[in-house]
Amino acid sequence: MNRQPRTLLTILLIAAIGGTGFFLWRDLQGPPDSSSSSGASPVRPTRGGRITVTLRAEPRSFNRLVAANAVTDAFTHLTQAKLVRVNRTTRELEPWLAEKWETASDQRTFTLTLREGLTWSDGTPFTTADVLFTFRAVFDERAHSVLASALTLDGQPITVSAPDARTVRIVYPAPFGPGLRLLDNLPILPRHKLEGLLDAGTFGQAWNPATPPTELAGMGPFQLAHYEPGQRLTFVRNPRYWRTAADGTALPYLDEVVLEIVPDQSAELVRLQSGQADMMQQALRSEDLAALRPHIDAGRVSLVELGVSTDPDAFFLNLRERFWSNDPRRGWITRRELRQALSHAVDREAFAESVFLGAAVPVWGPVSPGNTQWFSPNVPRYPYSLDQSRGLLAGLGLTNRDGDEWLEDEHGTEVRFSVLTYRGNQVLERETAFLRDEVRKVGIALDVVAVEQNALVDRMLKGSFEAIYFGYNATDLDPALNRDFWLSSGAAHIWNMAQAKPATAWESEIDGLIAKQTSATDADERRRLFAEVQRVFGEQVPVLYFAAPRLYMGVSTRTVNLAPSVLRPQLLWSADTIAVTP
Amino acid sequence: MRPARRAVWLLAALAGVALGGPWLAPYNPSAAHRGYVHAPPMWPRPWEGFAIHPVVLEDRLQQRFVEDRTRTVPWPWAQAADPVFLLGADRTGRDVFSRVLAGARASLGLGLLAVLGATALGALLGAVAGARGGLADEILMRVADFVLILPVLYVVIVLRAVLPLVLAPGVVFLLMLAIFVLVGWPIVARGVRAVIARERLAEYVIASRAAGAGSRHVLWHHLLPACAGHVAVQASLLLPGFILAEATLSYLGLGFPDTVPTWGTMLREAADINELSRFPWTLAPAAAIFAVTLATNAALQPVTEIARSSNPTSPDLQISR
Amino acid sequence: MLIFCARRILLALLLVWAVASAAFVLIHVAPGDETLVDFWGQAPEVREAARRRLGLDQPLAVQYGRWLSGAVRLEFGPSSLYSRPVGALLRERVINTAILATTALILAAVLGIVGGLYAATHTHGPGAWLARTASVVFLSTPPLLGSLLLVLVAARTGWLPPGGMSSDAGAAWWARWADLALHLPVPALALALPLAATLERVQAESLGGLLGQPFMNATRARGVRERDAVLRHAWPVSLGPVLGLYGLMIGTLFSGSFVVEVVTAWPGLGRLMVDALRARDLFLVAGTAAAGAACLAVGTLLGDLVQAGLDPRIREGR
Repeated sequence: MNRQPRTLLTILLIAAIGGTGFFLWRDLQGPPDSSSSSGASPVRPTRGGRITVTLRAEPRSFNRLVAANAVTDAFTHLTQAKLVRVNRTTRELEPWLAEKWETASDQRTFTLTLREGLTWSDGTPFTTADVLFTFRAVFDERAHSVLASALTLDGQPITVSAPDARTVRIVYPAPFGPGLRLLDNLPILPRHKLEGLLDAGTFGQAWNPATPPTELAGMGPFQLAHYEPGQRLTFVRNPRYWRTAADGTALPYLDEVVLEIVPDQSAELVRLQSGQADMMQQALRSEDLAALRPHIDAGRVSLVELGVSTDPDAFFLNLRERFWSNDPRRGWITRRELRQALSHAVDREAFAESVFLGAAVPVWGPVSPGNTQWFSPNVPRYPYSLDQSRGLLAGLGLTNRDGDEWLEDEHGTEVRFSVLTYRGNQVLERETAFLRDEVRKVGIALDVVAVEQNALVDRMLKGSFEAIYFGYNATDLDPALNRDFWLSSGAAHIWNMAQAKPATAWESEIDGLIAKQTSATDADERRRLFAEVQRVFGEQVPVLYFAAPRLYMGVSTRTVNLAPSVLRPQLLWSADTIAVTP
Repeated sequence: MRPARRAVWLLAALAGVALGGPWLAPYNPSAAHRGYVHAPPMWPRPWEGFAIHPVVLEDRLQQRFVEDRTRTVPWPWAQAADPVFLLGADRTGRDVFSRVLAGARASLGLGLLAVLGATALGALLGAVAGARGGLADEILMRVADFVLILPVLYVVIVLRAVLPLVLAPGVVFLLMLAIFVLVGWPIVARGVRAVIARERLAEYVIASRAAGAGSRHVLWHHLLPACAGHVAVQASLLLPGFILAEATLSYLGLGFPDTVPTWGTMLREAADINELSRFPWTLAPAAAIFAVTLATNAALQPVTEIARSSNPTSPDLQISR
Repeated sequence: MLIFCARRILLALLLVWAVASAAFVLIHVAPGDETLVDFWGQAPEVREAARRRLGLDQPLAVQYGRWLSGAVRLEFGPSSLYSRPVGALLRERVINTAILATTALILAAVLGIVGGLYAATHTHGPGAWLARTASVVFLSTPPLLGSLLLVLVAARTGWLPPGGMSSDAGAAWWARWADLALHLPVPALALALPLAATLERVQAESLGGLLGQPFMNATRARGVRERDAVLRHAWPVSLGPVLGLYGLMIGTLFSGSFVVEVVTAWPGLGRLMVDALRARDLFLVAGTAAAGAACLAVGTLLGDLVQAGLDPRIREGR
């Protein structure tokens, strides 16, 4: 090659690389501050606009009656409606599709009057037949609805009938504390779209992700316009949505809602930071708060406080006596004093600082201060005290007998057991590591084993584990809707599942209290009974809790009129009132 | 012979770091220093006489630290009251420098041994396949294909389930070594077979056989040296691959307990877009892997040259260059 | 040649069947099943009913037989995770992954082979040193970090979308293609750079070893210019090991890289494979394993074929 073209080429190449480098360096500093001020918020939300919400997982089904995961839930809140709704800000029961209701004196019969003139998103009129159909689908044997057990009290299903064209009568088999709040999770499904499938027995596969959007009729604020598999769901305004704002504006305010599927958590946050997403589906992690700070200060993102998490992570030992029957540790591993000693040994303040960077509150029971209606502060608390912990352990015969750093019992068996936790969940891994380091100070050895979610649940159900540290998400804040956890016969009674009869006196006591709390209808009485449950739980500590994080959502500043709630979906539960600044 | 001696020294240095790492580390690699989460590196300033200033926590939630210029602290090995992090701290407040040194044993040790095993086994089987041809060749290559195609994913999950929950680090080490050797040999074997299948038809091999050399002699003295260069390159490529694959295995369930640091898992913990840009010192293991790979490349370069020069097909490299 | 191809294809089919069956059996043996994560808090009868509905209470042989009888007709059964037929899911994802894989392979080939050529012919120049160091950097960077860094750069600068496969681009066909072209660089580079590094190293070594051989000296002595001698005589021969690796890369990329697909939100086969595995969705696991194995088999076969085609010595030696 000749000299001249080669020199020219080299100069051009260097110029190109240099130019790219300069522009890259300049643009890497981040987008410029937005001109919109963060202080002024509009007095009246305006109609129009679109928001983008990031999701972590793909939808597996659009049918809320057979699937109960976060994506299906979000879809249901956007496109479906229920008879009555629990307002998550005021915690009050609101009329929704039913405009009023009466409770009979026996506390079991409810007569609801449906609104007039409601139509489905495809124009078909909404009638009581749709309500009857939905209940029929829930209890259909071939459908295997996940909501069936929730709507079954004392082994009997809730019955529903339609005395006339606008009235629905719901009869509970027994008086039920939460009353109609039970229906907050039940979307009413269109009979004209799904009855055929129910009769044919294929309701379980109905409304799968391949269903054409025109089949997905609903009475919610939006309807699904388009689903690009694995990528995004696009929802547009439902022109036949029945609700209007207080000033008469037809809801929803937004024209479009896009749910974008972004499986990686840090990639989700990056989109929020760069303005390509308006909100994330989940609450922020503690470390994300710091990453967002520059964007908050620049007025691009605002922080919405949700409150204290109502689902603190749970650490529990296997309390099924049968599991330990041949184990040399059986003399002390299931004893209450061991659990109390563990609770004393953990510095919860340091826990909150270490795991959640300080953005957490110490908790001692499954009900955190975030559950404002049911939290009882008079729960026995175990203050951080290594001496008390050692004292309790010595009371069990566990002392350091051979000069190493671990305790042994009188037979010389080391005080050591394994803790299973979810692999890939950084918060849980940090919590387990912190717990291990804390109890090491009193001489207890924990072997942390991180396993896959499926493997962990399998071991938990079979009862073949020594201890587990994981996150248990309660389905509702009301304990009566969470009976499986509290009752000894429950399938979510994690430390000793599905007992034929209560294994201990205190579990029997809790069974009785919960049963009374479930059927009582006076709110104060129910609170009093549940406070007693929390007290017994706190004395026996079958499950240890350490800290509940404060939850925040990051939202772009253009998104306004939000109604934050600590329950999922934190912002989309009231999607019809969300608006954007023009 | 100077390049060869340099190569030997380099490899010896690597092995030394691998073995001695944990003793060189100033702090316990698993010790979580509370209050120092994501502390920035405290490095000695040459222009101040190699003085090290401690950092003080300013904002816990922002994980922001400020240097205290009024005080100096001694080198970390002196175990002063304030911890001194030469390369900063990670998400749990553990010293990155100590973890990189201590992690060398697991990562580098496992990596080097696995590379040795995989290249030895792969070269052997590939040479047999390439030299013999015919049925042995077919069978070996199909077995190699099967091993390559079967996703290790499934095997690891089942393996994890059948093994006891709590595994000693030594057992994990041996298991991973076995898995790496079994998964790595087909790659080497395919390359070696390709080279040998090509070379065995060359004139010098025919000449050698005509002179009466047996198959083993031809294999050992002519064919294997011909692929020495390729094997050397493969080895230098496998090392970083195995070091990183250790993190994938541990993500799948078969890994060291978190008391044993490894470079791969350190990188995986640091793998968060925002944290990478705010706390770049958590990428120190990547720099370590880079240094190790560069060193092995440099070390194996002379091997290639020697192998080529000892091969009768290329008597005078100097003439053509 | 034809018999060679036919035999390899038959063997490939056998391999695919073996791998899919192995995956099926292995995941069946693994602890947990499809109903666990959804139904663990519910009454045991509900879970049992779900297991019965999915056929999970039957012995392994029966379940396997059911899958096999469908598989031979290319019907891979329903996915319980997504309530859709596995075949439809696979088709979508394989196409997405194919697009990404093709782009990454072209990038890797161009960068790697050209880089290797340059490094082999200019052994002591600064360019070769740069190529070698860059290769080592990309080799030591796990794909996870590489894709995270690329997403970070894309998001901060705004030059490229930070992930996904498409945005709302409108209906015009050229707009959709342009949109796809914008979304490709981030995941394709994340995949291609480590591969390019590997190719560069292998190519450089392979070619370097050939440059001093007698046939090259003879070519130069004949008066052929150095550049032609290298490109037309030495390079095709040096491609042997490179193509062996390249075939492997074709297969690996087409079966999807889980890490890159998750970070860049690309809806591909790798993600589907791991999701199926986590959820223990037997039919989907077997289907994705079969798809992955088929890709790998085709890839290695292609690599071997081109290798035999390019090196006359191998061809005639058979």
